[in-house]
Amino acid sequence: MAFLEVKNIQKSFGKTEVLKNIGFSLEKGEVLAIIGSSGSGKTTLLRCINFLETPQKGVISVGGDVLFDGDDPSKKKDNEIRKNRLHFGMVFQQFNLFPQYTVFENLILAPKLLAKEKIKQNGDYMGASTYKEAVELINREAEQLLKKVGLTEKRDEYPCNLSGGQQQRVAIARALALNPDVLCFDEPTSALDPELTGEVLNVIRGLKSSDSTMIVVTHEISFARDVADKVIFMADGVIEEEGTPQQVIENPQSPRTQAFLSRFNQYSD
Amino acid sequence: MDFWSITLQLFEGFKANCYLFGITLLGALPLGLIISFGSMSPFFPLKALCRTFVWIIRGTPLLLQLFVVYYIPPMITEGAFRIEDRMTAAVIAFIINYAAYFSEIYRGGIEGIPKGQYEAGYVLGMKKSQIFFKVVLLQVIKRIVAPMSNEIITLVKDTSLANFILVEDILKYANDFRVQGLIWPVFYTGAFFLLFCGLLTILFRFVERKLDFYKG
Repeated sequence: MAFLEVKNIQKSFGKTEVLKNIGFSLEKGEVLAIIGSSGSGKTTLLRCINFLETPQKGVISVGGDVLFDGDDPSKKKDNEIRKNRLHFGMVFQQFNLFPQYTVFENLILAPKLLAKEKIKQNGDYMGASTYKEAVELINREAEQLLKKVGLTEKRDEYPCNLSGGQQQRVAIARALALNPDVLCFDEPTSALDPELTGEVLNVIRGLKSSDSTMIVVTHEISFARDVADKVIFMADGVIEEEGTPQQVIENPQSPRTQAFLSRFNQYSD
Repeated sequence: MDFWSITLQLFEGFKANCYLFGITLLGALPLGLIISFGSMSPFFPLKALCRTFVWIIRGTPLLLQLFVVYYIPPMITEGAFRIEDRMTAAVIAFIINYAAYFSEIYRGGIEGIPKGQYEAGYVLGMKKSQIFFKVVLLQVIKRIVAPMSNEIITLVKDTSLANFILVEDILKYANDFRVQGLIWPVFYTGAFFLLFCGLLTILFRFVERKLDFYKG
């Protein structure tokens, strides 16, 4: 069984069926790129995996644990969903940093709240047995994450004083601060100027070498080709084609994939 | 009557205005929050009820509402029930009226927070209450300071309407002088309101500056 298993996901908004029986699997440390035109369901799929949307049907499991089962109402309880969300990190197109907190505070807010809860419950947060120890651990880790995304000197700035690219790097560090099993990116560079996309893509590329399992919804085809282990092309709520980047991007079989990619190739190279 | 003793007498009346102002704020600020949650509720009957309430209160004059609170209960109970104290009647009418206005300001502030802020909290494993208190609340406060200050300054001046149900406020004292043939204290009351509003303006500007440490 693969590390991440997503099976038979069905999601409709009213009468519109957005995801029609989607399934894929991913091994630990692999990077999956999801490409496809707007409205094909890529973002909805990612939101279902993060439980921001509740699919009508389907099963999601990580490391053998079933986190969601459309037929099992006990998996749809608020508290259960909140716990299961922690398996996934999410980086949004619009960054969604908390504006009233500094870069550093953005990173440590959620881990501190979680540590307080965990220590109250079972006296342990990632090896720390007191809240004070946990906070020290969280702070140390946050400093390291800032270094990883190259923003140590922006530690005490507010998000409004950062460029879009810097904000997105903070958002990536914030998602990593909770050590998710799978990190998801929803068009992480679509809201950025072309000259800022590079710095964000480089950070994501850097994470690949540190063994993070990632799902990236993107329009950056060359990035998908270079970084992904696996590529999915979605169209109209189904997986039209999937495989290695060589298979899907270099040598697509489906006419729809071919048409989609040829539109991209017109402008690049 | 010299200037200072008239000032002191008017101030005696102005205490009633200050009292009405303070109690109205104490009551209307929390009540408005409750109504705003009601008018954003997914439960339709509650939402309809709250929005209808706001529509009626905002759609009729405060002065009329004062009369309703003071005169209607004895009329329909044939004298069995009346609010004896005129100030209490004024407080009730003012709290209801201002809660309706405040609720709309709260609603605007809360609904103006981008959905992404909540979603960012959710994917970071935060509880709904944590998202409200740690992420959203300060942003809402920053958004509503300006409209709130506006409304609160209006309240200062509206307190003089209580005079119509014979609450002994500053205008009542001024009117007593007028009846005795001394007209200028009536106009002098304006200075009291001006001074009060001036202080509030300074206070609100201070709060706005305090919240100016971030944008967005």
